Amino acid sequence: MNKMPEIILFFFAKIKKLALRFKKRKKMKEIMTVYYMEAKSASVSGRKVAWITSGGPVEPLIAMDVIPVYPENHGAMIGASKMGTDLCEKSESMGYSSDLCSYARSDIACATVNGGPIGGLPRPDMLVCCNNICGTVLKWYEVQARYFNVPLFIFDTPFCHMGYSEEVQRYVRRQLDEYVLFLEKACGRKMDSNHLKAVGKLSLEGQRLWQAVLATAANKPAPLTAFDAFYHLALIVTLRGTPLVIDYYSQLLEKMKDRVARGIGAIPNEKYRLLWDNIPIWPRTRWLSEKLASHDACLVADTYTSAWCGTMKYIDENNFFDSMAEAYTRIYLNIGVDEMARTVLEMVDMYKVDGIVMHSNRSCKPYSLGQYDIQKIVEKKREIPCLMIEADMVDERSFSESQVSTRIDAFMEIIKQRKGS
Amino acid sequence: MKQLDEFREILKDPASYGRNLKEQRRRIVGYFCSYTPEEIIYAAGAHPFRIFAAGGNIHFADAHFQSYCCSLVRGALEGALAGNLDFLDGAVFPHTCDSIQRLSDIWRMNVKGPFHVDVVLPVKLDTESAKAYMIDVLKKFRHDLASHLRVEITDNKLKNAIKTFNAIRGSLKRLYELKVENPGIIGGSDLYAIVKASMMIDRDYLSKALPAVIEELERKRGNANPYTDKRIILAGGACNHPDIYRIIEESGGVVVWDDFCTGSRYFEETARDNADPIAAIATRYMDKPVCPAKHAGIFTRGENLLKMIKEKNARGVVFFFLKFCDPHAFDYPYMKEFLDREGIPNMILEVEDQLPSEGQLRTRFETFVDML
Amino acid sequence: MLTVGIDIGSITTKAAVIADGQIRGTSVIFTGYNAQQAGTKVYEELLQQLGIKKSDVSKVVSTGYGRNSVKFMDKALTEIICHGSGAYYLNPRVRSVIDIGGQDSKAMVLDERGKVKNFTMNDKCAAGTGRFLEVMARALEVDLDGFGPLSLRAGDPSRISSLCTVFAESEVISLISKGEKRENIIAGIHDSIAARIAAMASRLPIAPLVVMTGGVAKNIGVVKALERKLGMAVEVSEYAQVNGAIGAAVLATGLK
Repeated sequence: MNKMPEIILFFFAKIKKLALRFKKRKKMKEIMTVYYMEAKSASVSGRKVAWITSGGPVEPLIAMDVIPVYPENHGAMIGASKMGTDLCEKSESMGYSSDLCSYARSDIACATVNGGPIGGLPRPDMLVCCNNICGTVLKWYEVQARYFNVPLFIFDTPFCHMGYSEEVQRYVRRQLDEYVLFLEKACGRKMDSNHLKAVGKLSLEGQRLWQAVLATAANKPAPLTAFDAFYHLALIVTLRGTPLVIDYYSQLLEKMKDRVARGIGAIPNEKYRLLWDNIPIWPRTRWLSEKLASHDACLVADTYTSAWCGTMKYIDENNFFDSMAEAYTRIYLNIGVDEMARTVLEMVDMYKVDGIVMHSNRSCKPYSLGQYDIQKIVEKKREIPCLMIEADMVDERSFSESQVSTRIDAFMEIIKQRKGS
Repeated sequence: MKQLDEFREILKDPASYGRNLKEQRRRIVGYFCSYTPEEIIYAAGAHPFRIFAAGGNIHFADAHFQSYCCSLVRGALEGALAGNLDFLDGAVFPHTCDSIQRLSDIWRMNVKGPFHVDVVLPVKLDTESAKAYMIDVLKKFRHDLASHLRVEITDNKLKNAIKTFNAIRGSLKRLYELKVENPGIIGGSDLYAIVKASMMIDRDYLSKALPAVIEELERKRGNANPYTDKRIILAGGACNHPDIYRIIEESGGVVVWDDFCTGSRYFEETARDNADPIAAIATRYMDKPVCPAKHAGIFTRGENLLKMIKEKNARGVVFFFLKFCDPHAFDYPYMKEFLDREGIPNMILEVEDQLPSEGQLRTRFETFVDML
Repeated sequence: MLTVGIDIGSITTKAAVIADGQIRGTSVIFTGYNAQQAGTKVYEELLQQLGIKKSDVSKVVSTGYGRNSVKFMDKALTEIICHGSGAYYLNPRVRSVIDIGGQDSKAMVLDERGKVKNFTMNDKCAAGTGRFLEVMARALEVDLDGFGPLSLRAGDPSRISSLCTVFAESEVISLISKGEKRENIIAGIHDSIAARIAAMASRLPIAPLVVMTGGVAKNIGVVKALERKLGMAVEVSEYAQVNGAIGAAVLATGLK
């Protein structure tokens, strides 16, 4: 009889948590649905659609009222809906090697059959390709430029092995001007530099909020996991520079702060804190999340979502346009492996992490090649274990559930042993 | 041909040759990629030495590179970690592709060598700002190399280097022209040996040896057999497999030209005479036949290939590149489509560090030659 | 005119005799470890069976991986050319041939005269070859010959997604332990191999009439699965397994 109130309270708390989750998810879903619908009906509303890479400078597009569409975000949706395998097979029958990036393969196939979870992306009026994330996007966008026969702008951000040089600054800064000219020509009107300034301010504010949201997970217990972050990431990637992003993340930040105040963790019993490296395994995020939670392990941080607020230190609030050059060049994937390792160590310390889970992602060479060295550095300097999961971000054929499950179990045993549970 | 024997000897064990040169007090600068400005290295009084995959099993490199990385990168790191490249005074990494980018970092972090230089050339080769940046980067490389080697790289030395390399490239091109005119004049793997050795051998010696080879071949011109008319072009990246030429020849075909990083893309285009030698070198890189890791238009490579087929009177194309080479694999479908539209037979061979068994290769090539 | 074709494969060696444009007889034996002996054996045995003297034979063409070890052949031609020729001889309407062998698989397109216009091969990886089916048959403890009929009874084919034979094997084992019906698993295996083959063939691209040759063509389950993946009818001749040898014998008639 005494236990009854406790049980009822426990149930209420669970339902409320689920409802909160559901509400947040519903809101994100609504926003993204409207966003894609607007993009698909752009020709009717007289707006232009640009396909842009995930690391590309979106602020000028927003300032020109061009709708930015992200084939990589679409790739994540394809992966999450488990439609990747079929589309990748289709691309292989078109002659594309199965070793190529699965975002590219599924997008290239999708465009020819209008497949995927939303019946294909809206036709682009222009393509904007920034190679700060990788060289694959260059080739991918060349393919789509041939396919759609639309203008292609390449924003070439040279790799920064050991720092940022004057030559790179000059080159990238000049390209910002070329980019504006490109957009002006494509849209048939001039860029409003005041509007661009305003968009820049919103972009920076959005990044600050995103960073604050992610930072709440440094608390014990973490109010959100990396899996939640993967989900909420969509807005800062696709609609950076709009007021909508500010609203959404402000509310999300409030909710997270509230949870921290009340000691509510994202998983029921957080005992072990982990860091995730690389792009998620989109078709299996739920499985991974449940698998780790079953070990009382919480992914409290990751190097992927933090990349969209990682270069704020290079942005000059009062001179957004000029500082875009450095901010877009020195992103996480465009720097040397040793600098990446330093960032990982900082995150290990900030989030008080017990171990690292690295996704050795066949599709992404800049992210995956170098992981072995980062693993060694972390193991040496922080003495925490690292788990390697070999898989792919979209193509399920490269994921072997029994193998991965065994590895996770073994890894957690090591962590438990070390923490003397 | 004694020069040919010397070239072949070097290829058998390039590291030995490198060590010999080192003993002669030469400074050896290792490099990757045909976009490396060798002229600047030469003008610094150093010896440019192109690095290829070690060949053989991967042991050390597995601790740094996953299996889905190309064998050129894995093999090169393997050689370095095994100590085969201890004779290098430094290594130069031009920007090429994602894999070479990471190789540079991992090499810098794990291979002990006197110096390490990144030459981050632009990916775009068709804009004014890219050219200006290219010139900036080459200037910086000149400065960095001079400071590492503690020498002065004067404009005169550069101009002299440009002359030397223009002559070498011209000679290599002449050899290709002799072959395309009369394929029987020199075997495919012999020509391969000459070109590949040219990227490692003493350039002053090369400047004399190549004209001698050309002279000897020109004497044979009238006498050589007409050979077969199953003329093939190879298109791809870096070719590390001389056997491919022999197997094609034994299957009844002959390679008359190529679009290889280690072939025609290495020697095409000369650096024009220019008051500013750096600008001359930069212009050559902007203009020479483009590599798929760079951008100079979306149809350029396909159009170049069609032009090549017409000019060299080829009957078919074999796409030949490394497994896990993303730039080449992305270009392949559209280039194949170009060829299919013109009714030009073509096939693809994706290779790893070892070639597939000869039996399998023969089956493919014999069938392909039959299609021509 | 009487000609002989000999196809020496990694597992079986086949021979075919064509006399005055008609198939006189065919034979299949195991290759064993000595290709040369197998070539000689299948040749002599078939001639004896048909009551033909060696002196009656005008020309011999050999094919298959062991084609160059047949000392008495007049010419050695690749199995791609021979499979194309054999399929065309059996049905001149054929325009695409798919051959799934023990250790490799190939697809080719022919022109109206039966000449190979384009081809593609998989010889690097077991998935998509007869070997894949053998491995699965062992895992399921089912006779490989039973695969075809069993798969036709499947109500709900399993989904096997792995690219790699070894991974796929562990997927199958996991399905068995979950109590999945054998028929469904086998149908899933057939879908998997058909998907690999269809992807390879679609690169050519293939067009009707599509004919399947090679030993695996006897498996009705694979044939049906391939039809579904290609969206085209796939014909299989009774001579599917000896198709290469027949093609070699046909090509032998064209030798001077």
